[in-house]
Amino acid sequence: MTTAETTITNRRGDVARVSRLVSELATAHLLSPGVVADVQVALDEVLTNIISYAYADDRIHQIRVRLTVASDVFEAEVEDDGQPFNPLTVPSPNLGASLRERSVGGLGIHFVKGLMSDVAYARIDDRNRLILKKRLTGGTEADARGSA
Amino acid sequence: MDLREDAVGDVTVLEVKGRIDSTTAPTLGEKLTGALSVPDKRLVLDLRQLEYISSAGFRVLLLAAKRAEEAGARFVLCGLSSKVRQLFDLGGFLDLFAISASREDGIAAVR
Repeated sequence: MTTAETTITNRRGDVARVSRLVSELATAHLLSPGVVADVQVALDEVLTNIISYAYADDRIHQIRVRLTVASDVFEAEVEDDGQPFNPLTVPSPNLGASLRERSVGGLGIHFVKGLMSDVAYARIDDRNRLILKKRLTGGTEADARGSA
Repeated sequence: MDLREDAVGDVTVLEVKGRIDSTTAPTLGEKLTGALSVPDKRLVLDLRQLEYISSAGFRVLLLAAKRAEEAGARFVLCGLSSKVRQLFDLGGFLDLFAISASREDGIAAVR
C-alpha cells in the first residue's frame, strides 16, 4: 500500500499539482489508463467545486488531499475547512435538455458519483471530508507481478 | 494539453492531445472562441489523443457549440476513444454535439 499526501490552496492553478501526484502514483503502480482517467476527472470535479463554492471569504485556505493505492482500491481523501457541503445531496443535472438550455451545473458531482465505486462524506471538526474510492478489479498489475 | 491546428482546404482541424480539465480548459476555450468568431467557420475538433475530459472541459465545448450555432458556423467533434465516449455518455452529451467517427468523416460533415 502506498500513500501520498499534498496540501494545496484554494487557487485554481494548484489543482494541477494533485493531477501530477495522481499521475506519479499511477505510473509507479502501473494502474490502467481508464482507472486513472476516472480518478483524475473525479478529483478535478471535487477540487474545483471546493475552490469555487466552499469559501465565503477571499482568504487563502488549505485543502488536504491524501491518495492511497492498495491492492484492490485507489482511495482519495479530500479535506477542506469550507462551509458544510455534502455533494451527495446535489440533485442530478437535467441531461435531456437541448443545447440552448443545457448548463453544466451539477455535472461535476454527477461525474464523481458515476465514475467512482464509492463516495462518502463526513463533517468532522468543522471540516468537510470526502472519501472517493475506485475499485481496481483484479488488483494492480504491479501486485500481480509481485505475487507471481 | 497540447493543441495542434491543421488547415484542410477551408476546414480547420484542431487536435487535442492530453487532458481537458479545470487547468487546461480555459486555453481550449479561448482557442475555440477565437476560431468560431470567424463567419462561416468550419471547425473539426479531433479528440483522438484525448486522455480524459472533466466538466470544466464540457462547459467549454458547450459554449463553443452554442456560439457556433448562433454564428452559423459548423463545429464537429471526432475521434472519441471508448473512455472519452463513456464520459460524453455519462454527461448526456452524445446527442448534444455533432460527433463523427474519424477526422475524415468530420471534415466531410462540416463541408
